[in-house]
Amino acid sequence: MKVRTPITDGVVPTLCRMCDTRCAINVHIKNSVIAGITPFENHPVNEGRICPRSEAAIDLFYHPDRILKPLKRREDGSFIEISHTRALDEISARLKHLKKEHGAHTVGVWKGEGLGFYQQEGYARRFIRAFGSPNYFSNDSACYNGRYLGNHLVCGFWNAFPEFNQAGLILLFGTNPPICHPPFTRELADARENGTRLVVIDPRLNPMACYADIFAQPYPGTDGALGWGLINYLIQTGNYDRDLVQRHVIGFEKIAAYARKFTPQYVQAQSGIYAHVVETIGRLIVKNQPDISIFSGAGLEHHENGVNSIRTLVILSCLSGALGRPCGLYRPEPLGTGELSLDRTLPPTGKNPIGRDKFPVLYDIRKECHTMTAMDYMLGKGEYPLKGLIIAAANPAVTNPNTAKVEKALKSLDLLVVNDFFMTKTAQLAHYILPATTFLEREELHFYPKLQRVNLTRCVATVDGVIDEYRVWRELALRLGFGDQYFPWKNESAVNHWLLAPTGLTVDLLHNHPQGYVYKPIRYQKHLSENLPTPSGKLEFASPYLKQLGLDEIPVYRPPYHRRHTDNRFPLVLTTGARKSLFYHSRNQNIPRFRNVHPDAEVEMHPDDAAHLQIENGEKVHVISKNGRLTLRVSIKHHSELRRGIVEIYHGWEDWRVNFLTFDEINDPISGFPLLKGVPVRIEKAAF
Amino acid sequence: MKIVFIEQDRCLACRNCERACAFQDSRNFDRESTNIWVHVNMDHRTIFTLTCQQCEAAICLDACPTAAITRDPDTDAVIVDEKTCIGCRMCIIACPFGCIHFDSAKHIAVKCNLCSGVPKCVQNCMSGALHYADINELAAVKRHKSNRPRHNTALLPAKEDRQ
Ligand code: SF4
Repeated sequence: MKVRTPITDGVVPTLCRMCDTRCAINVHIKNSVIAGITPFENHPVNEGRICPRSEAAIDLFYHPDRILKPLKRREDGSFIEISHTRALDEISARLKHLKKEHGAHTVGVWKGEGLGFYQQEGYARRFIRAFGSPNYFSNDSACYNGRYLGNHLVCGFWNAFPEFNQAGLILLFGTNPPICHPPFTRELADARENGTRLVVIDPRLNPMACYADIFAQPYPGTDGALGWGLINYLIQTGNYDRDLVQRHVIGFEKIAAYARKFTPQYVQAQSGIYAHVVETIGRLIVKNQPDISIFSGAGLEHHENGVNSIRTLVILSCLSGALGRPCGLYRPEPLGTGELSLDRTLPPTGKNPIGRDKFPVLYDIRKECHTMTAMDYMLGKGEYPLKGLIIAAANPAVTNPNTAKVEKALKSLDLLVVNDFFMTKTAQLAHYILPATTFLEREELHFYPKLQRVNLTRCVATVDGVIDEYRVWRELALRLGFGDQYFPWKNESAVNHWLLAPTGLTVDLLHNHPQGYVYKPIRYQKHLSENLPTPSGKLEFASPYLKQLGLDEIPVYRPPYHRRHTDNRFPLVLTTGARKSLFYHSRNQNIPRFRNVHPDAEVEMHPDDAAHLQIENGEKVHVISKNGRLTLRVSIKHHSELRRGIVEIYHGWEDWRVNFLTFDEINDPISGFPLLKGVPVRIEKAAF
Repeated sequence: MKIVFIEQDRCLACRNCERACAFQDSRNFDRESTNIWVHVNMDHRTIFTLTCQQCEAAICLDACPTAAITRDPDTDAVIVDEKTCIGCRMCIIACPFGCIHFDSAKHIAVKCNLCSGVPKCVQNCMSGALHYADINELAAVKRHKSNRPRHNTALLPAKEDRQ
C-alpha cells in the first residue's frame, strides 16, 4: 500500500476512534510512517491516558488483510478486484435499475460503528432520503436506541454520560465501565476518593464489582423490579422530590399506585436480590439525595422489557432529585450545526418505512427502521420486498440476532454493497465490497454532549487509491443524479465548513483546539425555568403518547421471557454481549497480540452447573437453543461470578457466532430490541 | 528517583497495564510475561496491583552472580542485561515481592525497566491509579486523602446509616 502523510515527521493531535469514547491522542509520524500513538495530555475525556486499543489503530491502518481495491463477487462466490470507477458505475446502475423496476423503497442503507461517528450516520441518512427511500437502518437498533428511547419518553432528552464525580451515590446497572467506557474509571475513582458510595447491579460479577460498596446479582432482565422496589421505598418513606412532582410531573399517582406491590420481599422474589439489600440501597439513596447518579449500560435494553426498565430507572432518578443535577439528568445543548439528515426537509412519502407499523416509537423518535423486520422484507415476507442494501461498516451477519436467518436474508438480496476494511462475515455475502478509510484518514466533527465540547479530527495519512466514506456517497449520488443537489461538497473538509457555518465556529479554530472547544457553558437545572422537551412539557411518568399507541402508559414490569416460560429442554439462561477489553464488538479479532489475550470463544459457567453436567474446565461443549447450536470451550468461573443457571458468551466472535442461538422475534414492543440476554439454552458435552 | 507506584484505591482491575506492558516487550501477550500484575481475589472481593519498586538496596541486584543486574544510569531503574544474565534464577528467588520472572524462551530473568522513563503501564492506566513519580508524591497523595470524608465499605447497613 502506498501511504501519504500530510507531514513527513512530527506529531498530529487527533481523536481515537477505536471505541466510542473517543480519547484524545497524539499520532507520531516518522519518515511518513505512522510510528506511534500516545495520549494527548490536555483533553478532559482521557486526561493524558489511553487504553491499549488505541495503538492498535496503527495495526488496523497497515493491516495486511486490509481491503485496498474494490471487490466484485463472481458467480462461483470468489471475488475479483475492479477499479473504483467500474465499481461505482456498476453499483449505481444496479441501484437505478432497482429504483426504476421496483421503487426506491426497495433499497436501504445500514450504518455501522466502524468508519466514523456523527458524520457516518449523517451521510447514510442523507443518501437514502435523497435516493427516495425511507429505509435507514443501523446498529443502534441492537445497542443504544433502547436507552435513547427510555430516557426520551420520560424527560424528552438523554444525557448519556452523567458527571459521576459529582455524585454522592452511583448506581450502575448492566455496565462494566473498565471495559466498556475506560475513561469512566477515572471519574469513578475520583468519586470514590470523595467518599461517594457505589452500587453495582449486574448478573455477572465483573472485577470492578470488587470496587463497590454493594454488588447485587439479579436474574437477567429483572432490573425493572428492583427499580420499582426503590421507587416504592422512596414513596413509602416519603423521601422523594415533592416539589418536582407537584410542578413538573404527569402521572405520579399512577406510578405511586403501581409501585405499591413492589415491597422488598416482592422484589426479592422477582429479581433474586435479597430484600434487605433492596432496603439498604433505598436507604443509601435517601441519605445521598439529590446527588444520585443512576447509569444503565446496554445490559438492560437487550431484554424484551428493556425500555420499561430504563424508564423505571429514569423515574427513580427524577424522584431522587437528580433531574438537572451534574451527576444526574441534565440536558446538554447541541452546537446547532448544519443538518446532514434530510428527515425534516425531505420526509419520506409513499411506502411505509420498514418496521414502523410494528415499532412506531422507534421510527417516530429515531427516524430509523427495524433491522430484524428488514430480514423478513428481504425474504419476501414483508409489505414489499427489500432488494438492495448498502452497509457502511456494520456486521449484521455476526451481531444481529438469529444468524441463520440473517445470512439467508442477506444472500437473497439483488444487491448488497459493503464498505469495510476487512472481509467480514457480512462482506463475504456482498456483491461489491468497497475499501474503507479508517478514522486516521479523515476529518470529522466529534461532539461530547456532556461537556458541550466539539473536536475536529485530523487526517493523519491517506492510502493511495482508497477513497473516503464521504467520497463514496458523493460519487454514488452524482451517478444517480442527486449529487449536485445533496452532496455538492467536493470533499469532507468542505462538508465540515458547511456544517460549522451556522455556528460561527471555523475549521481553523477547531484545528487549534485539540483539547476540544467548549461551544456553550453548561446550564444545569433547566427545568426550573423552561419546559421539558416532552409532548406535555413535563416529566412523563405516565406517557399519553404511549397510551394512545396502545403501549404501556407507565413502565409496567413484566418478568423476562425466561422467567415466564420454563422449558425442560432448555434449562439454562444464556446472556450474550459482555464486552472484551481489547475487542470492540466484532472488531480487532485479527490483531494477533489481542488475539493472544482472547484466543477463542468460551461459554462461561457456574461451577455447580458444570459439575452437574460433569463438565471440566476447558472441555468442548454444544450450546443449544431452539434456533441453533454452537460448539465451544467451557470456562468455569468463580462461584460468585455468575448465578447458578446463567451462562455467558461474547457476542462479537466471527468464528463462533452466538447469534445463531439468539431470537429475533421476541422484541421489546417500544424499541423493537431483540432478546439477547435471556435466551433459554441447554449444554451438552461434545463427543469426540 | 521516580518509580511506578500504585494508588490501590483507584484500581478497578481493567488489566490494561498488564497488557500494555506485555505488548511493549514482546508485541504478544501472556500473563506470565508482564511486569505488572493485577490480582483480583473473588473470594474476598479485593483488587491488588503490584510491580517492581526499584528498591534502593535491591536484593536481586546483590544476588546476581554475574552482575547482570545494574542500575540504569538515566532512570535509576534496576535492569537486567540480557547478554550477561546466565538464567540462574537467583534474583527471582531473592525478590521478596515476586516482581522478577523467568522468560523460558530466552532463558533469562526479566523485570520492569521503567520503559526507559516512559512507562507504558502508566500511560495506559485510565483510572489514574498508576503514577510515575517520586514516592514522596504517593505519601502526599495519601495525606491529602486522609483529610477527606470517607465512608465505610458496607454490604449491610453501616452504623451511620442505621441511625
Ligand atoms: S478508551 Fe481506548 S479505544 Fe476507546 S477511545 Fe479511549 S483510547 Fe481509544
